[in-house]
Amino acid sequence: MSKTRAWKYGAAILAVMMLFALGCAKKQEVKSTESAAAPAGQEKGAPTGGVVSEALKPESPAGGKQVAAAEAGAAVTQEKSSPFQDIRFDFDKSFVREDAKPVLSGVADYLKKNKGARILIEGHCDERGTSEYNMALGDRRAESARAYLVSLGVSASALSTVSFGKEKTLDPGHNEDAWAKNRRDHFVVK
Amino acid sequence: MTRRLVGSLLLALAIVLTPAAGRAILYIDINAPGGKRMPVALPALVGIAGDPSLSTAIPKVIAEDLGMTALFKVLPPEGYLEKILPAHFAGNPLSFPDWKMIGAEAVVIGKVEAHGDQVTVEMRLYDSTLGNMMAGRRYTGPARSFRTIAHKFANEILYAFTGVQGIFDTEIAFTATPRGGKDKEVYIVGLDGQDARRITDNRSFNLFPRWSPDGSTLAYTSFRTGVPVLYLRNLQDSSERALVKFGNSKSPGSFTPGGDALYASVSVGGNSEIYRVRLDGSNAEKVVAGWGIQVSPSVSPDGKRIAFVSNRGGSPQVYVRDLASGADKRVSNAGGYSTSPSWSPAGDRIAFTSQAGGIFSIYVVKPDGSDQQLLASADGDCTDPSFSPDGRYVVYTFQKKSYSELRIISVDGRWGKSLFSGLSGVGSPAWSPRR
Repeated sequence: MSKTRAWKYGAAILAVMMLFALGCAKKQEVKSTESAAAPAGQEKGAPTGGVVSEALKPESPAGGKQVAAAEAGAAVTQEKSSPFQDIRFDFDKSFVREDAKPVLSGVADYLKKNKGARILIEGHCDERGTSEYNMALGDRRAESARAYLVSLGVSASALSTVSFGKEKTLDPGHNEDAWAKNRRDHFVVK
Repeated sequence: MTRRLVGSLLLALAIVLTPAAGRAILYIDINAPGGKRMPVALPALVGIAGDPSLSTAIPKVIAEDLGMTALFKVLPPEGYLEKILPAHFAGNPLSFPDWKMIGAEAVVIGKVEAHGDQVTVEMRLYDSTLGNMMAGRRYTGPARSFRTIAHKFANEILYAFTGVQGIFDTEIAFTATPRGGKDKEVYIVGLDGQDARRITDNRSFNLFPRWSPDGSTLAYTSFRTGVPVLYLRNLQDSSERALVKFGNSKSPGSFTPGGDALYASVSVGGNSEIYRVRLDGSNAEKVVAGWGIQVSPSVSPDGKRIAFVSNRGGSPQVYVRDLASGADKRVSNAGGYSTSPSWSPAGDRIAFTSQAGGIFSIYVVKPDGSDQQLLASADGDCTDPSFSPDGRYVVYTFQKKSYSELRIISVDGRWGKSLFSGLSGVGSPAWSPRR
């Protein structure tokens, strides 16, 4: 290649690369994480892959409101006591089993005797399978019991439903016994 | 947490010396199968004031990022012959024969200078045969954002060699249980798996984080009021608003490619169906109806189809809905229980999880249901796949009894790693877009 051609070639490449460099310069910026000073007790040196830092920014401006909100949130994760037994379901199913019917009769009787009472039906799943599908399955289990109670003459306004999917298992075990206990509806008197 | 754009920076110095006649610029074909890895040297950075650990921490992040591509071989520092000095950033060339001698085709050098809690990092990539600088950048930012700086220069290195935009500075949102807790909170972590930062803090169940196409917003479901509410959270200023005012359970699937609406699963009367909900709250249109369970919509990159889960056939399987015609086609064929579709942003594959032989594994399939392949399996459950924005990697949850972690695998199966295991109940990973 002649000297002139080499320079032309080089100049063309230089021009292209400068254009690229300038183009990239416009769109790139370092982004940074904003946080208040890290808390003294910040966890470090987790076994593999993980320093974890806690966000200090509160979710609501008023401190008292934030504490109340945190308590309400935490209450969701606690198992509420119930005067009724849980009813159980087959894997990936939401139909009311025969062994559930005596319990549901008891719930219906209670509601007929206590006209103002309200019951929240919680639908739950075992740990297997994916969270979103199980959230919907928990809804079906809660709805299944609700519909059955209505068929027994309970007023619809006495009943509400919520699904926790597989987020709130009763038994932390990883075996058939635990799974069977976790596929359930739980009845909470409000 | 807010994520603020730092104003000052970026002088791009991609000054190229005239290439010698007859020698092509170093280049890697990112799609070439197998092939020799490009040997690269990554010596410690020159440190001028500030935290000395950054001199090795930054090259370490870059080395891990390059390792993800399976295109590079980072040579061990013990073999390096030349020490990098401030003079190398002031006009003194490297002694390139010293680098060629140990087999390094390219050398990455850098200098980090602290000013209070800010750092300026200058990074350069050299071709050790030609002695030219293939890429050069100067970054400024808070010292604690050094990993982001390293990730961004790893993107530069990849681009310089392959012409392909990297994803090393993207992040993964996920849910996990804080130590000693029973709740689920939303976290975000970079590809280095370090410094996961917590996004929610309300002690309840916070689930299914999903990114808007511009990366500014996370949609997620929270039980903090006692019942599930679907929130949109602006990550810049942490402001939130609720979306979807009807139904019981509600979970975000994916945003439309234009970012103006969200596909969500909503249960009404025990029936879960898929809706497209406009973000301005003006409309919620039922898109996939059915008795039973319809969940987990994942939209194609052209916005014309969605993958979703339905149990209409008796057990949950993955279907693709053509939104214009309303026609559905089942695409999962791996086991009796298939869920969690993730449509690759490259458009060519859908990942999902399927249970066969008692455990869940990750599969990929073409959107027409053909060419189903096993992608990841282990001695535990592999679930919740989510594609990287370039469609080359999948992050997923590995779980065995009480142990869980996030893992990443390349779609060609050549590379994989454990990303995060610092908390329990880890799951529901969602890979951010490029931002």
